[in-house]
Amino acid sequence: MNDLFREADLMMTRRQLFGRTALGLGTAAMAGLMGRDSFGAPSEFKGGLHHIAKAKRVIYLFMSGGPSHLDLWDYKPKMQAMYGKDLPEEVRDGQRITGMTSRQKTLPVCPSKYKFTKQENNEGGVWVSELLPHTSTVAKELCVVHSAFTEAINHDPAITYIQTGSQIPGRPSLGSWLSYGLGSMNDNLPSYVVMHARTKHAEQSLFGRLWGSGFMPSQHQGVLLRSQGDPVLYLNNPAGVAREDRRAQLDVLSGLNKAQFERFADPAILERIKQHEMAYRMQSSVPELMNLSKEPESTFKLYGEDAKTPGTFAACCLNARRLAERGVRNIQIFHRGWDAHGNLAGEHGNQCKDIDQGCAGLIKDLKNRGLLEDTLVVWGGEFGRTPYCQGRLGKDNYGRDHHPRCFTIWMAGGGIKPGITYGQTDDYGYNIADGDGNMLKPQPGKEKWTPGTMHIHDLNATILHQLGIDHTKLTYRYQGRDFRLTDVHGHVIKDIIA
Amino acid sequence: MNLTFFSLAFLSVLVVRVSAAPVDFAREILPVLSNKCFVCHGPDAKKKDLVRLDSYEGATRELDGYRAIDPKDPDESEMIVRLQDAEDPMPPEDAEKQLTLAERKLIIQWVKEGGQYAKHWAFVPPKKKKISTKGNPVDAFIGARLKASGVTFAAEADKADLARRVALVLTGLPPEPKQLKAFLNDKSSQAYEKLVNELLASPRYGEHQARYWLDAVRYGDTHGLHLDNKRGIFPYRDWVVRALNLNQPLDEFLTWQLAGDLLPNPTTAQLVATGFVRMNPTTAEGGAIPEEFQAKNNFDRVETLGTALLGMSLNCARCHTHKYDPISQKEYYQMLAFFNSTAEPSMDGNRYEFGPTIKAPADASAWANWDAIQTEEKAVRADQTRVLEAAMAFAMKPDHKDLLAKMSKKNNTPQDRLKLVADPKGGFKELAIHKESGALLKRMDALKGRMTTTLVAKDLPKPRVTKFLERGEYDQPRGEPLEPGVFAAMSAFPKEAPRNRLGLAQWLTAREHPLVSRVMINQLWQRTFGEALVRTPADFGLQGEQPSHPELLDWLAVELQDQKWNLKTMLRLMVTSRTFKQSSAYRQAIKDPENRLFSRGPSFRMDAETLRDVALWSSGLLNESMGGEGVKPYQPVGLWKALMHPGSNTKNYVPDKDARQYQRSLYVYWKRTSPHPMMTLFDAPSRESSCVQRSRTSTPTQSLALLNEKQRVEMGRNFGERLMKEAPADNAFARIRLLFELVAGRAPTETEEALCMALYTKIKYRYKNNEADAKALLAIGDSPRDEKLDVIEHAAWTQVAITVLASEIALWIY
Repeated sequence: MNDLFREADLMMTRRQLFGRTALGLGTAAMAGLMGRDSFGAPSEFKGGLHHIAKAKRVIYLFMSGGPSHLDLWDYKPKMQAMYGKDLPEEVRDGQRITGMTSRQKTLPVCPSKYKFTKQENNEGGVWVSELLPHTSTVAKELCVVHSAFTEAINHDPAITYIQTGSQIPGRPSLGSWLSYGLGSMNDNLPSYVVMHARTKHAEQSLFGRLWGSGFMPSQHQGVLLRSQGDPVLYLNNPAGVAREDRRAQLDVLSGLNKAQFERFADPAILERIKQHEMAYRMQSSVPELMNLSKEPESTFKLYGEDAKTPGTFAACCLNARRLAERGVRNIQIFHRGWDAHGNLAGEHGNQCKDIDQGCAGLIKDLKNRGLLEDTLVVWGGEFGRTPYCQGRLGKDNYGRDHHPRCFTIWMAGGGIKPGITYGQTDDYGYNIADGDGNMLKPQPGKEKWTPGTMHIHDLNATILHQLGIDHTKLTYRYQGRDFRLTDVHGHVIKDIIA
Repeated sequence: MNLTFFSLAFLSVLVVRVSAAPVDFAREILPVLSNKCFVCHGPDAKKKDLVRLDSYEGATRELDGYRAIDPKDPDESEMIVRLQDAEDPMPPEDAEKQLTLAERKLIIQWVKEGGQYAKHWAFVPPKKKKISTKGNPVDAFIGARLKASGVTFAAEADKADLARRVALVLTGLPPEPKQLKAFLNDKSSQAYEKLVNELLASPRYGEHQARYWLDAVRYGDTHGLHLDNKRGIFPYRDWVVRALNLNQPLDEFLTWQLAGDLLPNPTTAQLVATGFVRMNPTTAEGGAIPEEFQAKNNFDRVETLGTALLGMSLNCARCHTHKYDPISQKEYYQMLAFFNSTAEPSMDGNRYEFGPTIKAPADASAWANWDAIQTEEKAVRADQTRVLEAAMAFAMKPDHKDLLAKMSKKNNTPQDRLKLVADPKGGFKELAIHKESGALLKRMDALKGRMTTTLVAKDLPKPRVTKFLERGEYDQPRGEPLEPGVFAAMSAFPKEAPRNRLGLAQWLTAREHPLVSRVMINQLWQRTFGEALVRTPADFGLQGEQPSHPELLDWLAVELQDQKWNLKTMLRLMVTSRTFKQSSAYRQAIKDPENRLFSRGPSFRMDAETLRDVALWSSGLLNESMGGEGVKPYQPVGLWKALMHPGSNTKNYVPDKDARQYQRSLYVYWKRTSPHPMMTLFDAPSRESSCVQRSRTSTPTQSLALLNEKQRVEMGRNFGERLMKEAPADNAFARIRLLFELVAGRAPTETEEALCMALYTKIKYRYKNNEADAKALLAIGDSPRDEKLDVIEHAAWTQVAITVLASEIALWIY
């Protein structure tokens, strides 16, 4: 019998390598490099898959809808003089316009109504809008990238693009690539956790594909950590079933499964027994994770009182830190409502209130706990917003359309240079520019990378790099092709790496 | 440790050649060249002066005085030199993919043998190899390979296991207890064939087999992008079930879907089938640019055609000529041109119906009675006209001015007017048409429930212009307009065929087509045996795996056509084979962990739908009504709302309250951006893109779902009730026996019995001391409970049933 079990263990290894239930070579190779057993059981973190990792984990704060770089991060004082005038043709430079503003007669320049202040960082300082008073206090930790760009101009394709590397659905998400490449460091919690933060402006949809596993095995899909009902789907026992009942059930289940294994010896049966036990452990580890009663009052000073309300962005940030502490390597928070077409003042104010203190609290908290150095925090949306107004232009309120050519994201911790800015845009925040303000026309593509720019493939390549993964080597074969998150593109932005 | 060991073991399997026979280019060399050389030296070679290794002409061309392959003096071939050159090696040192020593040796041997090229196996039409032995041809091929490996067939499976297996494979449900009993008692040699025929004739057959096709065509009940609103297309799903149950020949099945609208005087069924063409995800996002989505919709259709029918991805050729397979970028856009002239707008307007739609039967019984329904509809229309004309004539009378005013009110529909006539206070009471209109309204209501609308394909009177798109960018069309066309490497376009979707269907189903029959047989084999003959069912191209039994695959592919594309005949052939009937117990003495030899019977975890259906069935909750709008079983509150745009009409999930929630899982409402978690947790695809092979994973969240999900708990409760009612009272052993008979088709083993007994005793004791818990458990789910049953007893059996239903005994086909 024992031999049979061992044989099955070995078979499992082989199946994971080559078989239908494959975890794939990435994980397998990782297991070898990291000295872990092939089931992804936890062990000491020794490094990365392809090189020494600077970050052990990533927390991705995704702002769905496209935050306005012009009202939050990209200070453009010269636009004031152009208020209401048509955006110069040479600035637009043939950029396509969405169906929403293409029939507008003019494209009036719309400077930000918000005050910007220069915050000290580790270089020449960084301008931050008054909408982000808390985030501005951690400016010294942030690498603010002004030159992120994409080709997609509408939400669904753009968000699918930045999260899966393709505008058309079907590919694995960034998170599942990481799950595939990194495995888990915790045996009691899922390796890839996704949260949806509450917003007053639930504009735009999210899609399962953003944390789905595409053509990879579905164990790599993100597990939702919810603020409503069971924190993890079906976590809690049904009414009338106590933990001791469940133990009794599982013991019998395990006996039945072992009997079945003795008949058919399929290693997947043994795997199931392990998963039942992990589920049982999750039933106590997840409530422990979600129970904030032991958090001192100082925590809520950091994250704000909001953090006491489940489902708020601040609460999600606090959860993220608690997950990070517990060895979860791959955490994403989605916050919707950034799609300010007509009422930017009304909406972005609320949006920033939602996220500002949570972001700052998370950075400070990670730093205080010594976690920031090996935790990569990423903040950003799927594109930026136009410097010209959509709809009625007023001094107090205006709208901005989607803008793919440049937008601002920031990164912190995880081996990224703190307190710097990277890349710049022209006087309108319309095009990425070089140091002299000349328009750059970056194209995605590994040969053609333009210094000072960060295509979304470059962003993803850099995230992978910090986690010890070479984005050109983490591949998954499907339909004869060795797919990559970054397709055939992507360039690690070495300039921002410490 | 393990890793290294198995890497070596794996390589040795691949590398050691059994015979000293000449190298087989198509099977041994081409896959290596494709995987490791074609990136630079393949169909998409960037530099003109670079040697091309994808054809004999390319490889033998003289470049700077050298030939990669020198046909006159093979030993002097440059390839041999470079493969062994330490100074200037090929592949270059920095190439991502390097050749193994064995591969180098093999290539050198091949070049020395003359370096002859042959077509990739999958592009050569299949031929039947003559088999002399009697018996099932499947066994002849499988047996030959077993024999060559020094292995015999495994013993036949236990009869009960076999009955359960074949029923699950063909119908997705276990055999009915009576059916099983009859089979077990039938000692005739035809007993098994009889069971198989019964199963093939069951309507459950079509429901189960349809699932695989629905994955391949990415069937969904929503548009899939942006708002992901509802889409009216479920009659297509019901048609698929019906067509499979009617055993429609596969060539016709495909033709109707691709081009039913282009057939002469198309029937409703032929039009509904064209929902296939309309299945692509669509958007109506505010800023979206129609031309962009016209292109994207078509990319998606071409890719689905490739994955589902040609067994290969065509996506590469969207931006550049395919790196591995002989598909040019121009051909890709010619294929796209077949789909580029459909009449619907490229954006869905967030509407349930958009573009061409027709009236279609609203469920399976309406399908069966469709002719009568249509006749009735005509009659109702005629009656309506007649009644309303009479009513108007009456209202026109001078003293009926108020009636006339009411009748001619603006925006009044004919039905509103009929209602007026039927209204007892409406002023028409004295007329005969008053009574008649009441009856007519009822007839209309009855009809309405039986008809619905569904999206169909239709071509524009004047085709759209299709051009080559530079790098796949919709706004960069290049060159002259392209005529619809096909991939020359596969087979020629039929001479007489029209250059439209109908011609495309004729090309696909032509005898000469090398792929479609193979791809279809491979899919059938996969769903029957758990693993396919070509284990990359979505890639028959150069980068895919070779078939484990190439001659068998080809024989079956030709047989499928010889049998006039009869699916039931092919499935019967497979499941009556000795190969299928083998015991699926693992054979320790044989090194065949992945069952590539098919040296044991199939054994695999059920798909999401099947494992839910089996539990519904065994608990007695299954509602076998067929078809209709997607059904909505319980789902945790707020799942959709957390994702959806406030303007979406799928932001609120409203579970069905009636028996619909217990219909089979293929009818579960499929919201593509957020399918039911009981589907996605168990590896169902999102249906945003074509899927012909699901993963089979094991995760802790599955474990939680198996034991805690509301419907599973409810199924356990109903199962418990069934055990208490159908097995003799106060005999726990008899109940456990019945439980196993329903779940496994057999009595429990001693171990299983003891385990269940222990659980039953333990839980019963627990609930004895806490009746409130027992009551709470039994209160779960909408279905009524027989209140006469003892609470403690019922709760205990509920728990036992939930547990056994979550065990691998219930979740596996074996």
